[in-house]
Amino acid sequence: MAEVKFENITATYGKKTVLKDFSLTVNSNEILCLVGPSGCGKTTLVRCLLGLMKPDSGSITVGDTVLFDAKKRINVPAEKRNIGIVFQDYAVWPHMTVLENVSYPLKKRRVPKEEIRERAMRALELVHMETYANHLPMQLSGGQQQRVAIARALVVDSEILVMDEPITNLDAKLREEMLLEIRMIQSRLKSTVLYITHDQQSALQLCDKMAIMELDGSLCQYGNDEDIILRPANRFTFEFIGVSNMIPVVLKNKKIHLDCGIDAALDVEVPADVDFSVKTDMGVRMNDVVFDAKSPVKAKVVSKVFLGSEYNYFIKLGDKEIRVQQSMLDAKLSGVPDDGAEVGIRFVNPRFYPAKKEVSGEAV
Amino acid sequence: MKLFNKTDNLAALDGRKRFSLDKALTITTFILLIIIVVIPVFMIIFNTFFEKATTGRWNFDLSLFKTQLSEEKNLSAMWNTVKIAVFTTIFGTIAGVFYAWLLGRSDIPAKGLMKALFNIPYMFPPFLGAMAWDMLLNGRGGYFNKFLMTTFGLETAPFNINSIWGIVFVEVSYYFPFVFMQVVAALEKMDPTLEECARIAGAKQSTVIWRITLPLTKPAISAGALLILTTSLAHFGVPSIIGYSQGIYTLPTRIYAVIYNAGGSFEGIREGAALSVLLVAVVSAALILQNKILSSGSYDIIKGKSTRPTLIKLRGAKYPLLIFCILTLVIIVVVPLVMIVLVSFLKAYGLPLKLENFSFIQYQRVFKGNATIQSIKNSLFASITAGVVCMLLGTLVAYVVQKIKPKNRGALEFMSMLPYAIPGTVLSIGVILAWQGSILGINLYNTIWIIIVAYLARYLSFSMKTSSAALLQVSSSLEEAARACGASHTESLADITLPLIRPAMVSGFFLIFLPAMREVTTSILLYGPKTRTLGVQIYGLRDAGMIPQAAALATVAIGIIIILNTVVNYIVKDRKGV
Amino acid sequence: MADQIVLRNVTKIFTTKTLGDITAVDNFNISVHEGECFSFLGPSGCGKSTTLRMIAGFEDLTAGEIELCGKLVSSSSKKLYIPPEERGLGMVFQAFAVWPHMTVFDNVAFPLAIKKVNKSEIKERVAQALKHTSLTGLEGVYPGELSGGQQQRIALARAIVTNPKVMLLDEPLSNLDPKLRETMRFEIKALQKKFGFTIIFVTHDQSEAMAISDRMMVCDMGKIMQIDTPENLYNHPNSRFVHNFLGESTFINVEVKGDKVYPKGSNQELKISIPKGVKGKMVVATRPNEIELTTSSEDGFRTHIEKRIFLTDRTEYLVPVGDQMVKIQTPHRIRFNAQDECYVKFIEPIWYPEDDEAAVAERNKRQLI
Repeated sequence: MAEVKFENITATYGKKTVLKDFSLTVNSNEILCLVGPSGCGKTTLVRCLLGLMKPDSGSITVGDTVLFDAKKRINVPAEKRNIGIVFQDYAVWPHMTVLENVSYPLKKRRVPKEEIRERAMRALELVHMETYANHLPMQLSGGQQQRVAIARALVVDSEILVMDEPITNLDAKLREEMLLEIRMIQSRLKSTVLYITHDQQSALQLCDKMAIMELDGSLCQYGNDEDIILRPANRFTFEFIGVSNMIPVVLKNKKIHLDCGIDAALDVEVPADVDFSVKTDMGVRMNDVVFDAKSPVKAKVVSKVFLGSEYNYFIKLGDKEIRVQQSMLDAKLSGVPDDGAEVGIRFVNPRFYPAKKEVSGEAV
Repeated sequence: MKLFNKTDNLAALDGRKRFSLDKALTITTFILLIIIVVIPVFMIIFNTFFEKATTGRWNFDLSLFKTQLSEEKNLSAMWNTVKIAVFTTIFGTIAGVFYAWLLGRSDIPAKGLMKALFNIPYMFPPFLGAMAWDMLLNGRGGYFNKFLMTTFGLETAPFNINSIWGIVFVEVSYYFPFVFMQVVAALEKMDPTLEECARIAGAKQSTVIWRITLPLTKPAISAGALLILTTSLAHFGVPSIIGYSQGIYTLPTRIYAVIYNAGGSFEGIREGAALSVLLVAVVSAALILQNKILSSGSYDIIKGKSTRPTLIKLRGAKYPLLIFCILTLVIIVVVPLVMIVLVSFLKAYGLPLKLENFSFIQYQRVFKGNATIQSIKNSLFASITAGVVCMLLGTLVAYVVQKIKPKNRGALEFMSMLPYAIPGTVLSIGVILAWQGSILGINLYNTIWIIIVAYLARYLSFSMKTSSAALLQVSSSLEEAARACGASHTESLADITLPLIRPAMVSGFFLIFLPAMREVTTSILLYGPKTRTLGVQIYGLRDAGMIPQAAALATVAIGIIIILNTVVNYIVKDRKGV
Repeated sequence: MADQIVLRNVTKIFTTKTLGDITAVDNFNISVHEGECFSFLGPSGCGKSTTLRMIAGFEDLTAGEIELCGKLVSSSSKKLYIPPEERGLGMVFQAFAVWPHMTVFDNVAFPLAIKKVNKSEIKERVAQALKHTSLTGLEGVYPGELSGGQQQRIALARAIVTNPKVMLLDEPLSNLDPKLRETMRFEIKALQKKFGFTIIFVTHDQSEAMAISDRMMVCDMGKIMQIDTPENLYNHPNSRFVHNFLGESTFINVEVKGDKVYPKGSNQELKISIPKGVKGKMVVATRPNEIELTTSSEDGFRTHIEKRIFLTDRTEYLVPVGDQMVKIQTPHRIRFNAQDECYVKFIEPIWYPEDDEAAVAERNKRQLI
């Protein structure tokens, strides 16, 4: 298995530049989840890697092999790139049986017949589909079809496995299962996986490393799950990952004060690297707002919703409505406030970002 | 480092520009479409408005067109064409919608069987139907008329099929399935909650039909109605068989008469061409009018998940309506069929339908000599060739339009759909003008190839449509997955795309083969002494007054069609698993 | 509170060609109070949609009777069947079912036009309905030009314009994306507050049901499993099925030996109190976020962290208990590293007998319908 390197890739569709000077490395034997809102250029990057689209400049290497290099005028055709790919819509060929589907890449590589069968069956065993070898894809469920697609991508020992939104078309319960399965397969084969998705939740569950792209096609953060969650690089990452409250704050007497219709000093550390001379928002995730009767910051419960594993609250804080999530464990420990009740709240792990130009910070 | 070091320049390696295969396909498609479609159409227009002066130069000249327009016969033919087409469309649409609703939304029994039976009129050659009705209801001695006159002691025949209304009746019988099939399909696709919602809103069942169901199927209804309208405007067989004796002409029959009377001379063909332009003008006007009427409030056909629709209980009306349906089928299918078979056994036309007058003599006569056998062979050859070529060419056009998507694909699509709006008669004239030596000195006149070329132009849009629909289902990721698996562009086409659309190609073939087998409108203008088709042969026999012989051959033709249809259904069913 | 919708012994049997008779709805007895939001919750094939369609009048009853607002509308014994248009209901469907050939105004005005309400009143009432659903200004637009959320609002406006007492909602949010789903949920609740109608809400999404309902019915394979408030259902499910269906569940196979509990594949005791009469092989049920994860040893089950996963709103730990892997969810502030020693403690778990294989087979068969 090999690492994958994108260097200074620029790609355009007609006049529209989708990727500009984009560089990214997928470490060997790791799952890299590339996450970003739809339209940010994730799929363009995949198409460049597969050889279905030619970047204007830059280079792509997999291990020791240069697949594309604009300067050296190298562009290996798609069929010679040796990359396993799993698409969102499965792309399992409906006119071939499961076994024929999985055998196809081997056939194209002129592998001897007896070996083809053996290797294809082994790949099917890996995804627990060996008993369906002679089924046609239309006799299988969506999840099973996607397993076949994964087996087909694995069968030739590709240097890298690319998965483009592989679980988006499956229903919720199955998605969880498939994520676990993908992780198991990867850890068994030690594959290098580039996993593309717009769903940060599944990316977090799966990844070794995560790369977050902004809508303009730039890479805005690269790191492991902990980096992304605890140390978001900027406001975009912070807001993209999870539901968050943005509350205007000001710095007074070396203390951070709320600035949303009420003025209360907050018991949080003043970060050294934030410039409070411009308008500043404090970002707090909805589960980082904690009920604490002792806190001087008071707010009023507008409504609450029981969601099973947690309670969700709308809380009026000054002239802002913020959202709070209380886990069942906390609910059992500190109780559930009623609608209309006044509560003390505390903010855990807040982040500070310059306010957006227009009136912003509204609860999403 | 292992490098795929190639000296080619980058542009040649480019994923988009590299595929010379795509380019070659695009160019081939353009050339073929120009030869098959554009040239004949161009030739008609050119010959109508330009005349070769003695100096050898072509001059713009409207006189031919003017003369044709001023002739009383032509004007009445035009008027008849419009009248017949409009009434056929109106009644055909009403009948089609009525039966579609009955079979699609009500709880009428034996639905599956009835749906299958209602497709029969679609396969039944209309000009054979016309022959049968002429035998039954001819104003001067139709069998049914005679029966009524003797039974009730009437002085004159109660029915006269040889009229505008007769033509309308026969055309409606065989064209209403156009609307029927479209509307049944739309009703099946329609989300039943759209109707349920209206019930909840307080609307009675009948209100729901008028306010919701019918308006929602409007796109399907109008598509079917348009098909009836254009087909009827261009149709030759029925008005020719029923109208001829009474001097009722339509534009297609008039064109035939002009060319026939001129004995195939160039002047006659030019006159025919001028009339063709008139016919095209009428068809275009109809298309534009239809577009205007329907353009208000456009919307997509309804998507929806497949829930079973709630069937409307007919209660007391259930069995009367079932009987009515069966009666319809008997009248438009069984009666003509039986009539043709009975007449084919008659020793001579006009004899009473009694057992002692029956024999096989007509069949012996028909198959004496080789004209009949030759015509069957000709039809088989022309239909199969046209079917195969159209299937391949249609798929090619569809592939270029749907997958390669060249910049000017709009033009391609337009070219391939153009013949759809151009009547068969007109195309035939264009084909004659184009292939009697005026281009590259190629003269196909009097050979079977000119018929095949005309079939190609006429039926290309059929196969292009089915292949297009199939290709749209093949998502591009299927081909891309093959590329990533190590298949070249050509290999991915051969291994993935073609096998996937093969069923559609096969049904595209039969969609051409079957109508071509029974076709008369196009070949009647193109046949030569040795290239009579089955349709032309039957028409010729009847025209020569040998009605029982025509009936015998018609019986044989219907037999062939039934056998072929069974084979098709068997093949198509077999492939459903793919 | 009066009972506004009452189902008595309602049964529906479908006859299918391949699988014979299927009891889609088996002896349902439900009473829904006036002004209540009542959910039918269950997996596909559980009978929830069929029940709703019987209330709406699109299906007849094999047995039993249905009463709406004190009036009998369906009764199999009395051969009584009032057609849907005379039941005075509002209804919203999953696929929006707005009529594409009518403008937004005409769509919403339809129920009034059918009732021959006079023009000026129609205009006023439609304007009101559109205002409540934030569609003002879109009167002349055709639904095809609007987004899914807007189309569903049209459907809502059309349902409320006649001011019905009962509103039937058939998976109205399933075709919308998650963010919009939440917004629309709030809007539906707000409309209910404003107009005071009774809601029957059909869904297969448990969190949606819990968020919107006052009470709900969980059903499975044509049978009512439990009817209660969301909190009671979540905290006191009466069966393993309900437990699992209402949220992420952790089931641990255990064996009770005397007064001690051992997880399958372990000799270490699991210190939980044993209810009376429980012995042998059992299943202990709890939820990933109701398991305490500590460093102290008091009453805890000693084990280690196998894997840690950061999610947006919580940290997930995979922890082996016996030969099973248990998922535990904690807030980010409780922090362990992989391979750390830890203690897990189950708070008030629920006991169920081991799984029934016949039930699993029956469910698989139903999925085929």
